[in-house]
Amino acid sequence: MTEVRNPFADPLRFERRVPECAIVIFGAAGDLAKRKLLPALYRLAYDRRLPASFAIVGNSRTPMSDEDYRARMREAVKQFSEDGDFDEELWKRFAANLHYVAGDVKEPNLYQALREKVNATGQANILFYLSTQPSYYATIVDGIGHSHLAAAPEGAWRRLIVEKPFGHDLQSAKELNSRIHAVFREEDTYRIDHYLGKETVQNILALRFGNGIFEPLWNRRYINHVQITAAESIGVEGRGGYYQEAGALRDMIQNHLLQVMATVAMEPSAVFEPDAVRDERAKLLRSIKVMGPEEVDLYAVAGQYKGFRQEPGVNPDAQTDTYAAGTFFVDNWRWAGVPFFIRSGKKLPKRVTDIAIQFNQAPLALFGAGDGDQKARPNLLILRIQPEEGISLLFLSKEPGSGMRLRPVSMDFNYGTSFGERSPSAYETLLVDAMVGDPTLYTRQDMVEASWTVIQPILENWSNRRFDFPNYDPGTWGPAEADAMIAKLGRQWRNS
Amino acid sequence: MGTIATVQPERILRDLQELWAKMASDQADSGGVLRACAMTLAVAAENAADAERVRQTVGVLMHSHPSRAVILHPGSAGGELEARIFAECWKPFGKSQQICSEGIEITAGHNGFSEVAKFLVPLRVPDLPVVLWCRGAGALEPGPLAPLFPLADKIIFDSAQVEDADSALQFLRRLRGRGRRVADLHWTRLTGWREVLSHLFDDQGLQASGIKGAQVTFGGPSVTTCARYFAAWIRTALPGTRVTVSSDNGSRGLHSVVLSTVSDSLTIALGSDHCVEVSGPGRHYRSMLPSTSEEALMQEELGILGPDPVYERVLTV
Repeated sequence: MTEVRNPFADPLRFERRVPECAIVIFGAAGDLAKRKLLPALYRLAYDRRLPASFAIVGNSRTPMSDEDYRARMREAVKQFSEDGDFDEELWKRFAANLHYVAGDVKEPNLYQALREKVNATGQANILFYLSTQPSYYATIVDGIGHSHLAAAPEGAWRRLIVEKPFGHDLQSAKELNSRIHAVFREEDTYRIDHYLGKETVQNILALRFGNGIFEPLWNRRYINHVQITAAESIGVEGRGGYYQEAGALRDMIQNHLLQVMATVAMEPSAVFEPDAVRDERAKLLRSIKVMGPEEVDLYAVAGQYKGFRQEPGVNPDAQTDTYAAGTFFVDNWRWAGVPFFIRSGKKLPKRVTDIAIQFNQAPLALFGAGDGDQKARPNLLILRIQPEEGISLLFLSKEPGSGMRLRPVSMDFNYGTSFGERSPSAYETLLVDAMVGDPTLYTRQDMVEASWTVIQPILENWSNRRFDFPNYDPGTWGPAEADAMIAKLGRQWRNS
Repeated sequence: MGTIATVQPERILRDLQELWAKMASDQADSGGVLRACAMTLAVAAENAADAERVRQTVGVLMHSHPSRAVILHPGSAGGELEARIFAECWKPFGKSQQICSEGIEITAGHNGFSEVAKFLVPLRVPDLPVVLWCRGAGALEPGPLAPLFPLADKIIFDSAQVEDADSALQFLRRLRGRGRRVADLHWTRLTGWREVLSHLFDDQGLQASGIKGAQVTFGGPSVTTCARYFAAWIRTALPGTRVTVSSDNGSRGLHSVVLSTVSDSLTIALGSDHCVEVSGPGRHYRSMLPSTSEEALMQEELGILGPDPVYERVLTV
């Protein structure tokens, strides 16, 4: 569709209109719908971001009436809305647009029933949201295709949002892409990675390319290495069945953390437009050096916490990685030789996601190479993603008093204190983007396949090995092998 | 929370430091306090009672635009210049740490705001934007606030209560012509209306080239700045379109906008419950207008610290 400039647009004051549409959610009674999707949609209604006319049509196997579904989602929204705002009157108006169709996604009749329901709402545009078990994705897309639900009338659109994981390895990702493309065009396919919708991840681009002071230092000459950490203090919390098939490498590193790495390391795009930005992310992902079989043992570590095998639904002999760490290198002029250490795990000492960029030390220890705090320390720029959102710069400062004693200090920017207003949740941002047709924060086929390509040798190596699991205690920073991995390159994890 | 300080900027800043140290110590066991500041918000209140209202508004604004607030108001005849400091604190949902912003309230002495202006310079937070909010219709006339204008990066007025819309607009244009960045909350009140109209043109819903005329109707005895603004906005967006402005007997403010094509017309009219009703071929719906409370309007303006090209274009028409 050709973009026509709206002469009344005022992007400083109001957002582009979210077009009238129906959102068809498969897996609408599931955890994601209850915890994230419905609260996000309700919040968009609260913020007047949804159009006057819209519809949400939920599907799952559980038999329920529209009223039952509304009652169930009302409780979910009340429970999981991040800010506790719940307006009874608004909910009534919102719930009037909430519909439900029970049925099995393998049954062709379901799609006919969905068609009738959507037609009854009068909506011409449809956004399909796959929030079921990943093994059903291809079946649902086939069902949408066979029932002609994907055929949009003149001037209308059909779009598909696919939740992660997108495939379970490179081959399955390619197959899924192929099945989806039989029904939806690539430009209508929105592969969601909710990390990219987080304000702080988007802020990486603002920090790098909106300021003049960082980008000149953002290269191998000044940066010693980068650490990306996504730690959870909790275990699998009842998701043992799913998790033992996925593991930390697939669940976090292949998608979220490689996308974060791409955002940290990508080149600036010529313009801030969806495909220009995504081209740069994809280019970076393709530049990550793919490990050879012999390198996996050097540069990747799997771990499993004690007690995982006793979790409900988990095989007592499971070889699942509840912790994964990897050392990645980027083969381009900017980053050659700079290691990117990525780790993610469950039952670690605290919940934290951050990116630490460690700069090279000052070339001369002018104030002495003493011990303790007096010792020369490299500067660190820390981009904090959760739970506190912000940026910190660590540097040395003179202690007050006589003599020249140096002490590390932190200069902090905190989102909450500079922008008191609430940040939209990642799902609010991403749902609006899909409805207005902006895929900047969604991953593209080539990006997904590039990140699977990076991970594939590790997956293959690990699937052929028998680990001596468990190998780390809950509440510790993972297995000793991960410390050894980073120590081989003369670095150490920031375990603070 | 507050303390009296004599009006010496260094003393005020020192008192603020002590206030922060005391608050940090008092709150040490309950999550602590975090000092937040993203700008200096100077407010020229009309009088002492107005300053009290401003204080409450500023308390709300701090949540989304943490700043050092400097509230200025005229004192009694023969009075002395006085100042007091305060802090506004709030606790974000689910957090134990309090976020606090600081404030200074200055009562002008007999020399009025010209004396205050020189105190304001050292009280601004270095390197952060300074926004000056000039309250009341009187602020839109040449007068005592002029010495404050050069200190601000943005000056916010409210022309809602002015009797003579044309001279208020002239005043704003003159300031703009001198390089000052100005805003008018009566323009901000139109955002909800403008958004509804703009959305009609998103995604080719309505073709701009098809609009032949526009009729803006407002209520009240004389033309308000908001009617002038709305008409000018349509003229800048659709050059060559005939735009007429008329009044009816209803309450003050915008009542309706009718866009005409060769064969049809589309109406946006003020409805009940703070809604507008959109009606025309194939369209009939209600859309809720955003809040036009003073806090909401100021929040919107404080969110725009750089150029505001649409308003600036409208102001020149």
